[in-house]
Amino acid sequence: MNKPKLIALLPFVLCTLALAADTQWVLQQCTLTYHVSHPLHQTDGISHAARGKGICHVGQCDFLIAVPVKSFDSGDSNRDLHMVQVTRGAEFPMVTVRTRLPESAANDASIQADLEIQFAGQTAHYQHVPFQLTKQGADVRLSGTIPATLTDFKIEPPTLLTLPVKNEIPVRVEMTWHPAQ
Amino acid sequence: MKWKAPSRGLPAAILVVSLLITPLLHAQQPDATLTGTVTSPSGGRIAKSVISVKNLNTGTVSTTQTDSAGRFVVPNLASGDYEVSASTDGLNAVSKVTLAAHATQTVNLTLTTQSQPQTPAGNLPNAPSSSKEPSLSDLGFTPEQTQANAKEQALLDKRTRMLKIHQKLGLITAAPLIATIVTSLGAGGKHTSNTDRTVHMVLGAVSSDLYFTSAYFAIRAPSIKGTSTRGPIRVHKALAWIHGPGMILTPILGALAYQQKNNGEKVHGIAAAHGPVAIVTAGAFGAALLSVSLKF
Repeated sequence: MNKPKLIALLPFVLCTLALAADTQWVLQQCTLTYHVSHPLHQTDGISHAARGKGICHVGQCDFLIAVPVKSFDSGDSNRDLHMVQVTRGAEFPMVTVRTRLPESAANDASIQADLEIQFAGQTAHYQHVPFQLTKQGADVRLSGTIPATLTDFKIEPPTLLTLPVKNEIPVRVEMTWHPAQ
Repeated sequence: MKWKAPSRGLPAAILVVSLLITPLLHAQQPDATLTGTVTSPSGGRIAKSVISVKNLNTGTVSTTQTDSAGRFVVPNLASGDYEVSASTDGLNAVSKVTLAAHATQTVNLTLTTQSQPQTPAGNLPNAPSSSKEPSLSDLGFTPEQTQANAKEQALLDKRTRMLKIHQKLGLITAAPLIATIVTSLGAGGKHTSNTDRTVHMVLGAVSSDLYFTSAYFAIRAPSIKGTSTRGPIRVHKALAWIHGPGMILTPILGALAYQQKNNGEKVHGIAAAHGPVAIVTAGAFGAALLSVSLKF
Protein backbone atom coordinates (compact mmCIF):
# COMPACT_ATOMS: atom_id res chain seq x y z
CA MET A 1 0.00 0.00 0.00
CA ASN A 2 1.41 3.38 -0.97
CA LYS A 3 1.72 6.42 1.26
CA PRO A 4 -1.33 8.47 0.06
CA LYS A 5 -3.62 5.46 0.63
CA LEU A 6 -2.27 5.02 4.15
CA ILE A 7 -2.86 8.69 4.91
CA ALA A 8 -6.41 8.40 3.56
CA LEU A 9 -7.12 5.43 5.83
CA LEU A 10 -5.65 7.09 8.90
CA PRO A 11 -8.85 8.98 9.93
CA PHE A 12 -10.88 5.75 9.81
CA VAL A 13 -8.30 3.91 11.87
CA LEU A 14 -8.20 6.70 14.44
CA CYS A 15 -12.00 6.88 14.61
CA THR A 16 -12.23 3.13 15.14
CA LEU A 17 -9.60 3.26 17.90
CA ALA A 18 -11.37 6.19 19.55
CA LEU A 19 -14.69 4.34 19.55
CA ALA A 20 -13.12 1.20 20.95
CA ALA A 21 -11.25 3.07 23.73
CA ASP A 22 -12.78 2.81 27.19
CA THR A 23 -13.95 5.96 28.91
CA GLN A 24 -14.65 6.07 32.60
CA TRP A 25 -16.89 7.95 34.98
CA VAL A 26 -16.14 8.55 38.63
CA LEU A 27 -18.77 9.29 41.25
CA GLN A 28 -17.68 12.64 42.60
CA GLN A 29 -20.46 13.39 45.06
CA CYS A 30 -23.40 11.35 46.26
CA THR A 31 -26.18 11.69 48.78
CA LEU A 32 -28.42 8.72 49.42
CA THR A 33 -31.45 9.18 51.67
CA TYR A 34 -33.79 6.40 52.74
CA HIS A 35 -37.17 7.29 54.18
CA VAL A 36 -38.96 5.18 56.77
CA SER A 37 -42.55 5.79 57.84
CA HIS A 38 -43.89 4.80 61.24
CA PRO A 39 -47.21 5.87 62.81
CA LEU A 40 -45.17 7.91 65.36
CA HIS A 41 -42.09 8.78 63.29
CA GLN A 42 -40.97 9.85 59.86
CA THR A 43 -37.27 9.07 59.62
CA ASP A 44 -34.64 9.83 57.01
CA GLY A 45 -31.25 8.11 56.99
CA ILE A 46 -28.57 9.86 54.98
CA SER A 47 -25.24 8.66 53.63
CA HIS A 48 -22.59 10.60 51.76
CA ALA A 49 -20.17 7.65 51.70
CA ALA A 50 -21.13 6.09 48.37
CA ARG A 51 -18.43 5.50 45.79
CA GLY A 52 -18.96 4.62 42.20
CA LYS A 53 -17.36 3.97 38.89
CA GLY A 54 -18.61 3.67 35.33
CA ILE A 55 -16.73 2.01 32.50
CA CYS A 56 -17.87 2.68 28.94
CA HIS A 57 -17.01 0.31 26.17
CA VAL A 58 -18.29 0.42 22.60
CA GLY A 59 -21.12 2.78 23.46
CA GLN A 60 -22.35 1.02 26.60
CA CYS A 61 -21.46 2.01 30.15
CA ASP A 62 -21.48 -0.30 33.15
CA PHE A 63 -21.92 1.52 36.44
CA LEU A 64 -21.29 0.27 39.95
CA ILE A 65 -22.21 2.31 43.01
CA ALA A 66 -21.51 0.95 46.48
CA VAL A 67 -22.18 2.30 49.94
CA PRO A 68 -21.51 0.85 53.40
CA VAL A 69 -24.73 0.04 55.25
CA LYS A 70 -23.25 1.49 58.43
CA SER A 71 -22.67 4.87 56.81
CA PHE A 72 -26.36 5.82 56.95
CA ASP A 73 -27.10 8.33 59.70
CA SER A 74 -30.67 8.90 60.87
CA GLY A 75 -29.66 11.19 63.74
CA ASP A 76 -30.10 8.50 66.39
CA SER A 77 -27.38 5.92 67.07
CA ASN A 78 -29.82 3.40 68.56
CA ARG A 79 -32.02 3.52 65.45
CA ASP A 80 -28.98 3.24 63.17
CA LEU A 81 -27.68 0.19 65.03
CA HIS A 82 -31.12 -1.38 64.83
CA MET A 83 -31.19 -0.64 61.09
CA VAL A 84 -27.82 -2.35 60.66
CA GLN A 85 -29.13 -5.35 62.63
CA VAL A 86 -32.39 -5.84 60.70
CA THR A 87 -30.65 -5.39 57.36
CA ARG A 88 -27.86 -7.80 58.43
CA GLY A 89 -25.42 -4.98 57.77
CA ALA A 90 -22.51 -6.60 59.62
CA GLU A 91 -22.89 -9.80 57.61
CA PHE A 92 -23.53 -7.97 54.32
CA PRO A 93 -21.82 -4.61 54.90
CA MET A 94 -22.21 -3.12 51.42
CA VAL A 95 -25.14 -2.05 49.32
CA THR A 96 -24.25 -2.27 45.64
CA VAL A 97 -26.16 -0.89 42.70
CA ARG A 98 -25.34 -1.94 39.14
CA THR A 99 -26.75 -0.60 35.94
CA ARG A 100 -25.91 -0.44 32.27
CA LEU A 101 -26.67 2.63 30.22
CA PRO A 102 -25.87 3.78 26.72
CA GLU A 103 -22.98 6.25 26.64
CA SER A 104 -25.23 8.77 24.89
CA ALA A 105 -27.53 8.88 27.96
CA ALA A 106 -25.22 11.51 29.47
CA ASN A 107 -26.69 14.03 27.02
CA ASP A 108 -30.34 13.26 27.87
CA ALA A 109 -32.49 15.30 30.25
CA SER A 110 -33.93 12.17 31.81
CA ILE A 111 -33.24 8.45 31.70
CA GLN A 112 -34.92 5.27 32.82
CA ALA A 113 -32.45 2.88 34.35
CA ASP A 114 -32.75 -0.79 35.15
CA LEU A 115 -31.04 -1.34 38.48
CA GLU A 116 -29.70 -4.44 40.15
CA ILE A 117 -29.38 -3.83 43.87
CA GLN A 118 -27.65 -6.15 46.31
CA PHE A 119 -28.56 -5.43 49.90
CA ALA A 120 -29.04 -7.47 53.05
CA GLY A 121 -27.88 -10.63 51.27
CA GLN A 122 -30.58 -10.32 48.62
CA THR A 123 -30.67 -9.07 45.05
CA ALA A 124 -33.56 -7.01 43.75
CA HIS A 125 -34.17 -5.70 40.27
CA TYR A 126 -35.87 -2.39 39.59
CA GLN A 127 -36.81 -1.62 36.05
CA HIS A 128 -37.31 1.74 34.34
CA VAL A 129 -36.42 3.83 37.40
CA PRO A 130 -36.65 7.48 36.26
CA PHE A 131 -33.71 9.82 36.88
CA GLN A 132 -33.32 13.49 35.98
CA LEU A 133 -30.00 14.55 34.46
CA THR A 134 -28.42 17.97 34.39
CA LYS A 135 -25.08 18.83 32.87
CA GLN A 136 -22.68 21.01 34.85
CA GLY A 137 -19.72 21.50 32.56
CA ALA A 138 -18.26 18.07 32.02
CA ASP A 139 -20.04 16.68 35.10
CA VAL A 140 -23.44 15.04 35.03
CA ARG A 141 -25.79 15.51 37.96
CA LEU A 142 -28.35 12.80 38.40
CA SER A 143 -31.32 12.62 40.76
CA GLY A 144 -34.18 10.23 41.28
CA THR A 145 -35.89 7.92 43.74
CA ILE A 146 -35.56 4.15 43.91
CA PRO A 147 -38.92 2.63 44.95
CA ALA A 148 -37.40 0.11 47.36
CA THR A 149 -39.45 -1.92 49.81
CA LEU A 150 -38.51 -4.06 52.80
CA THR A 151 -40.00 -7.18 51.22
CA ASP A 152 -37.75 -6.76 48.16
CA PHE A 153 -34.85 -7.63 50.45
CA LYS A 154 -36.70 -9.94 52.84
CA ILE A 155 -36.21 -7.51 55.72
CA GLU A 156 -38.50 -7.94 58.69
CA PRO A 157 -40.16 -4.56 59.36
CA PRO A 158 -38.67 -2.99 62.51
CA THR A 159 -41.15 -2.08 65.21
CA LEU A 160 -41.43 0.72 67.72
CA LEU A 161 -43.86 0.31 70.62
CA THR A 162 -44.97 -2.90 68.87
CA LEU A 163 -46.04 -0.96 65.72
CA PRO A 164 -44.16 -1.92 62.53
CA VAL A 165 -42.82 0.58 60.01
CA LYS A 166 -44.30 0.78 56.52
CA ASN A 167 -43.00 -1.59 53.86
CA GLU A 168 -42.02 1.23 51.50
CA ILE A 169 -38.51 2.63 52.00
CA PRO A 170 -37.95 4.95 49.03
CA VAL A 171 -34.31 5.87 48.51
CA ARG A 172 -33.60 9.35 47.17
CA VAL A 173 -30.46 9.50 45.04
CA GLU A 174 -28.44 12.63 44.27
CA MET A 175 -25.22 11.96 42.36
CA THR A 176 -22.60 13.90 40.48
CA TRP A 177 -20.51 11.95 37.98
CA HIS A 178 -17.25 13.24 36.59
CA PRO A 179 -15.73 11.88 33.37
CA ALA A 180 -12.24 10.46 33.75
CA GLN A 181 -10.11 8.97 31.02
CA MET B 1 -78.15 -29.66 30.50
CA LYS B 2 -78.33 -33.00 32.22
CA TRP B 3 -75.60 -34.15 34.51
CA LYS B 4 -73.97 -37.26 33.19
CA ALA B 5 -72.42 -39.77 35.54
CA PRO B 6 -68.71 -40.15 34.91
CA SER B 7 -67.76 -43.20 32.98
CA ARG B 8 -65.50 -45.84 34.46
CA GLY B 9 -62.67 -44.54 32.30
CA LEU B 10 -62.50 -41.17 34.09
CA PRO B 11 -61.04 -42.35 37.44
CA ALA B 12 -58.51 -44.38 35.51
CA ALA B 13 -57.54 -41.34 33.45
CA ILE B 14 -57.15 -39.22 36.63
CA LEU B 15 -54.92 -41.92 38.11
CA VAL B 16 -52.74 -42.04 35.00
CA VAL B 17 -52.43 -38.22 34.89
CA SER B 18 -51.57 -38.15 38.61
CA LEU B 19 -48.89 -40.77 38.12
CA LEU B 20 -47.44 -38.75 35.25
CA ILE B 21 -47.58 -35.41 37.07
CA THR B 22 -46.19 -36.56 40.41
CA PRO B 23 -42.63 -37.23 39.19
CA LEU B 24 -42.69 -33.95 37.24
CA LEU B 25 -43.68 -32.00 40.34
CA HIS B 26 -41.06 -33.82 42.30
CA ALA B 27 -38.44 -32.92 39.71
CA GLN B 28 -39.21 -29.21 40.16
CA GLN B 29 -38.46 -29.28 43.88
CA PRO B 30 -35.30 -27.28 44.65
CA ASP B 31 -33.28 -30.13 46.13
CA ALA B 32 -29.83 -29.73 44.61
CA THR B 33 -26.95 -28.78 46.88
CA LEU B 34 -23.85 -26.76 46.16
CA THR B 35 -20.81 -27.24 48.36
CA GLY B 36 -17.26 -26.06 48.13
CA THR B 37 -14.29 -24.34 49.63
CA VAL B 38 -12.70 -20.93 49.31
CA THR B 39 -8.93 -20.62 49.36
CA SER B 40 -6.54 -17.70 49.23
CA PRO B 41 -4.01 -17.29 46.39
CA SER B 42 -1.46 -18.97 48.69
CA GLY B 43 -3.75 -21.94 49.24
CA GLY B 44 -4.99 -21.18 52.76
CA ARG B 45 -8.64 -21.73 53.57
CA ILE B 46 -10.65 -18.50 53.94
CA ALA B 47 -13.26 -18.23 56.71
CA LYS B 48 -16.23 -15.84 56.60
CA SER B 49 -15.94 -15.29 52.87
CA VAL B 50 -19.28 -14.13 51.42
CA ILE B 51 -20.60 -16.64 48.91
CA SER B 52 -23.17 -15.54 46.36
CA VAL B 53 -24.92 -18.16 44.24
CA LYS B 54 -26.88 -16.71 41.35
CA ASN B 55 -29.32 -18.74 39.29
CA LEU B 56 -28.61 -17.56 35.74
CA ASN B 57 -32.07 -18.61 34.57
CA THR B 58 -34.15 -16.83 37.20
CA GLY B 59 -31.75 -14.24 38.61
CA THR B 60 -32.41 -15.50 42.15
CA VAL B 61 -29.45 -15.05 44.45
CA SER B 62 -28.68 -17.11 47.56
CA THR B 63 -25.94 -16.04 49.90
CA THR B 64 -24.00 -17.65 52.67
CA GLN B 65 -20.59 -17.53 54.33
CA THR B 66 -17.73 -19.95 54.60
CA ASP B 67 -17.17 -21.56 57.98
CA SER B 68 -13.90 -21.53 59.93
CA ALA B 69 -12.52 -24.24 57.60
CA GLY B 70 -13.36 -22.21 54.50
CA ARG B 71 -16.23 -24.52 53.54
CA PHE B 72 -19.72 -23.55 52.42
CA VAL B 73 -22.97 -25.36 51.70
CA VAL B 74 -25.97 -23.94 49.84
CA PRO B 75 -28.87 -26.42 50.00
CA ASN B 76 -32.32 -26.41 48.37
CA LEU B 77 -31.28 -25.11 44.96
CA ALA B 78 -33.23 -25.74 41.78
CA SER B 79 -31.43 -27.47 38.95
CA GLY B 80 -29.89 -25.13 36.37
CA ASP B 81 -26.92 -22.90 35.59
CA TYR B 82 -25.39 -20.91 38.43
CA GLU B 83 -22.73 -18.28 38.88
CA VAL B 84 -20.90 -18.77 42.17
CA SER B 85 -18.84 -15.92 43.51
CA ALA B 86 -16.77 -15.47 46.65
CA SER B 87 -15.38 -12.22 47.99
CA THR B 88 -13.18 -11.37 50.93
CA ASP B 89 -10.99 -8.43 51.70
CA GLY B 90 -10.93 -7.08 48.13
CA LEU B 91 -10.22 -10.53 46.68
CA ASN B 92 -12.76 -12.22 44.45
CA ALA B 93 -13.45 -15.49 42.70
CA VAL B 94 -16.20 -16.35 40.23
CA SER B 95 -17.11 -19.69 38.75
CA LYS B 96 -19.95 -21.16 36.73
CA VAL B 97 -21.58 -24.43 37.61
CA THR B 98 -24.51 -26.48 36.35
CA LEU B 99 -26.58 -28.22 38.98
CA ALA B 100 -28.58 -31.36 38.25
CA ALA B 101 -31.72 -32.23 40.21
CA HIS B 102 -31.10 -34.13 43.49
CA ALA B 103 -27.33 -33.75 42.94
CA THR B 104 -24.64 -32.33 45.21
CA GLN B 105 -22.08 -30.39 43.23
CA THR B 106 -18.75 -29.20 44.61
CA VAL B 107 -17.02 -26.05 43.45
CA ASN B 108 -13.69 -24.90 44.87
CA LEU B 109 -12.89 -21.23 44.52
CA THR B 110 -9.48 -19.63 44.69
CA LEU B 111 -9.49 -15.93 45.42
CA THR B 112 -7.53 -13.59 43.19
CA THR B 113 -7.05 -9.82 43.19
CA GLN B 114 -9.46 -9.38 40.26
CA SER B 115 -11.92 -11.91 39.10
CA GLN B 116 -14.48 -11.24 36.41
CA PRO B 117 -17.57 -13.26 35.59
CA GLN B 118 -16.95 -15.66 32.78
CA THR B 119 -20.22 -14.97 31.03
CA PRO B 120 -22.86 -12.25 30.92
CA ALA B 121 -24.53 -12.02 34.28
CA GLY B 122 -28.14 -11.54 35.10
CA ASN B 123 -31.42 -11.48 33.28
CA LEU B 124 -31.77 -7.73 33.46
CA PRO B 125 -32.03 -6.17 29.98
CA ASN B 126 -29.33 -3.62 30.70
CA ALA B 127 -27.53 -5.38 33.52
CA PRO B 128 -23.74 -5.26 33.42
CA SER B 129 -22.48 -8.10 31.35
CA SER B 130 -19.21 -7.16 29.73
CA SER B 131 -15.85 -8.15 31.07
CA LYS B 132 -15.13 -4.42 31.41
CA GLU B 133 -17.56 -3.85 34.25
CA PRO B 134 -16.28 -2.21 37.43
CA SER B 135 -15.92 -4.29 40.57
CA LEU B 136 -16.18 -3.46 44.25
CA SER B 137 -12.42 -3.62 44.62
CA ASP B 138 -12.14 -0.72 42.13
CA LEU B 139 -13.88 1.66 44.51
CA GLY B 140 -11.23 1.87 47.20
CA PHE B 141 -13.20 0.82 50.24
CA THR B 142 -11.18 -0.48 53.16
CA PRO B 143 -11.35 -4.22 54.01
CA GLU B 144 -13.02 -3.26 57.32
CA GLN B 145 -15.84 -1.67 55.36
CA THR B 146 -16.41 -4.52 52.91
CA GLN B 147 -15.63 -7.60 54.98
CA ALA B 148 -18.49 -9.53 56.55
CA ASN B 149 -18.40 -9.75 60.31
CA ALA B 150 -20.56 -12.62 61.52
CA LYS B 151 -19.52 -12.05 65.13
CA GLU B 152 -20.71 -8.46 65.07
CA GLN B 153 -23.97 -9.52 63.41
CA ALA B 154 -24.54 -12.03 66.22
CA LEU B 155 -23.84 -9.28 68.74
CA LEU B 156 -26.28 -6.94 67.01
CA ASP B 157 -28.92 -9.67 66.97
CA LYS B 158 -28.45 -10.27 70.69
CA ARG B 159 -28.58 -6.54 71.38
CA THR B 160 -31.83 -6.14 69.46
CA ARG B 161 -33.42 -9.17 71.16
CA MET B 162 -32.56 -7.79 74.61
CA LEU B 163 -33.66 -4.25 73.82
CA LYS B 164 -36.98 -5.52 72.44
CA ILE B 165 -37.62 -7.24 75.78
CA HIS B 166 -36.53 -4.04 77.54
CA GLN B 167 -39.01 -2.04 75.45
CA LYS B 168 -41.91 -4.44 76.02
CA LEU B 169 -41.31 -4.70 79.75
CA GLY B 170 -40.93 -0.92 79.95
CA LEU B 171 -44.34 -0.49 78.35
CA ILE B 172 -45.90 -3.12 80.63
CA THR B 173 -44.33 -1.40 83.66
CA ALA B 174 -46.19 1.78 82.77
CA ALA B 175 -49.55 0.15 83.60
CA PRO B 176 -48.92 -0.80 87.29
CA LEU B 177 -46.92 2.43 87.69
CA ILE B 178 -49.93 4.52 86.70
CA ALA B 179 -52.15 2.39 88.97
CA THR B 180 -49.67 2.96 91.83
CA ILE B 181 -49.86 6.72 91.31
CA VAL B 182 -53.68 6.60 91.21
CA THR B 183 -53.89 4.53 94.41
CA SER B 184 -51.45 6.87 96.16
CA LEU B 185 -54.31 9.34 96.49
CA GLY B 186 -56.06 6.93 98.85
CA ALA B 187 -52.91 5.71 100.58
CA GLY B 188 -51.35 8.94 101.72
CA GLY B 189 -54.23 11.08 102.97
CA LYS B 190 -55.50 11.59 106.51
CA HIS B 191 -58.39 9.16 106.15
CA THR B 192 -56.73 6.09 104.76
CA SER B 193 -57.21 2.44 105.46
CA ASN B 194 -54.73 -0.40 105.69
CA THR B 195 -56.27 -1.88 102.55
CA ASP B 196 -55.64 1.31 100.52
CA ARG B 197 -52.03 1.38 101.66
CA THR B 198 -51.55 -2.34 101.01
CA VAL B 199 -52.99 -2.09 97.48
CA HIS B 200 -50.71 0.88 96.81
CA MET B 201 -47.71 -0.98 98.18
CA VAL B 202 -48.39 -4.16 96.18
CA LEU B 203 -48.81 -2.17 92.94
CA GLY B 204 -45.61 -0.30 93.72
CA ALA B 205 -43.77 -3.56 94.30
CA VAL B 206 -45.04 -5.00 91.00
CA SER B 207 -43.96 -1.81 89.16
CA SER B 208 -40.58 -1.94 90.82
CA ASP B 209 -40.01 -5.62 89.93
CA LEU B 210 -41.00 -5.09 86.31
CA TYR B 211 -38.90 -1.94 86.14
CA PHE B 212 -35.73 -3.65 87.34
CA THR B 213 -36.28 -6.64 85.05
CA SER B 214 -36.66 -4.23 82.13
CA ALA B 215 -33.57 -2.28 83.24
CA TYR B 216 -31.57 -5.52 83.39
CA PHE B 217 -32.15 -6.18 79.69
CA ALA B 218 -31.08 -2.62 78.78
CA ILE B 219 -27.95 -2.72 80.93
CA ARG B 220 -26.91 -6.21 79.81
CA ALA B 221 -27.57 -5.59 76.09
CA PRO B 222 -24.14 -5.74 74.42
CA SER B 223 -22.66 -2.46 73.28
CA ILE B 224 -21.23 -2.24 69.78
CA LYS B 225 -17.61 -1.16 69.56
CA GLY B 226 -16.96 2.13 67.81
CA THR B 227 -20.49 3.45 68.18
CA SER B 228 -21.07 6.78 69.87
CA THR B 229 -24.46 7.61 71.34
CA ARG B 230 -26.28 10.23 69.26
CA GLY B 231 -29.78 11.65 69.12
CA PRO B 232 -32.88 11.12 71.30
CA ILE B 233 -31.44 7.92 72.76
CA ARG B 234 -29.04 10.17 74.72
CA VAL B 235 -32.03 11.77 76.47
CA HIS B 236 -33.50 8.31 77.11
CA LYS B 237 -30.25 7.15 78.72
CA ALA B 238 -29.77 10.38 80.69
CA LEU B 239 -33.27 10.08 82.18
CA ALA B 240 -32.32 6.66 83.54
CA TRP B 241 -30.01 8.49 85.97
CA ILE B 242 -33.14 10.07 87.46
CA HIS B 243 -35.72 7.27 87.40
CA GLY B 244 -33.14 4.55 88.21
CA PRO B 245 -32.13 5.91 91.66
CA GLY B 246 -35.74 7.05 92.10
CA MET B 247 -36.98 3.49 91.66
CA ILE B 248 -34.59 2.35 94.40
CA LEU B 249 -35.37 5.22 96.76
CA THR B 250 -39.17 5.32 96.34
CA PRO B 251 -39.89 1.82 97.76
CA ILE B 252 -37.49 2.40 100.69
CA LEU B 253 -39.16 5.69 101.57
CA GLY B 254 -42.55 4.08 100.94
CA ALA B 255 -41.78 1.28 103.39
CA LEU B 256 -40.87 3.86 106.05
CA ALA B 257 -44.04 5.84 105.38
CA TYR B 258 -46.11 2.64 105.44
CA GLN B 259 -44.67 1.71 108.84
CA GLN B 260 -45.30 5.18 110.28
CA LYS B 261 -48.88 5.17 109.00
CA ASN B 262 -49.55 1.73 110.41
CA ASN B 263 -48.26 2.95 113.80
CA GLY B 264 -50.83 5.70 113.65
CA GLU B 265 -48.18 8.35 113.19
CA LYS B 266 -48.13 11.17 110.69
CA VAL B 267 -45.58 10.50 107.96
CA HIS B 268 -42.53 12.42 109.02
CA GLY B 269 -38.78 12.76 108.49
CA ILE B 270 -37.19 11.34 105.38
CA ALA B 271 -40.30 9.21 104.73
CA ALA B 272 -42.17 12.43 103.88
CA ALA B 273 -40.04 12.59 100.70
CA HIS B 274 -41.71 9.38 99.39
CA GLY B 275 -44.41 11.26 97.47
CA PRO B 276 -42.19 13.90 95.81
CA VAL B 277 -39.50 11.31 94.94
CA ALA B 278 -42.15 9.02 93.44
CA ILE B 279 -43.57 11.87 91.33
CA VAL B 280 -40.13 12.81 89.97
CA THR B 281 -39.36 9.14 89.30
CA ALA B 282 -42.63 8.52 87.47
CA GLY B 283 -42.18 11.76 85.52
CA ALA B 284 -38.68 10.79 84.42
CA PHE B 285 -39.91 7.32 83.48
CA GLY B 286 -42.73 8.78 81.37
CA ALA B 287 -40.32 11.22 79.70
CA ALA B 288 -37.96 8.32 78.94
CA LEU B 289 -40.79 6.49 77.19
CA LEU B 290 -41.70 9.59 75.19
CA SER B 291 -38.08 10.30 74.25
CA VAL B 292 -37.94 7.18 72.09
CA SER B 293 -41.56 7.36 70.95
CA LEU B 294 -41.80 10.91 69.64
CA LYS B 295 -39.45 12.62 67.24
CA PHE B 296 -37.96 15.90 68.37
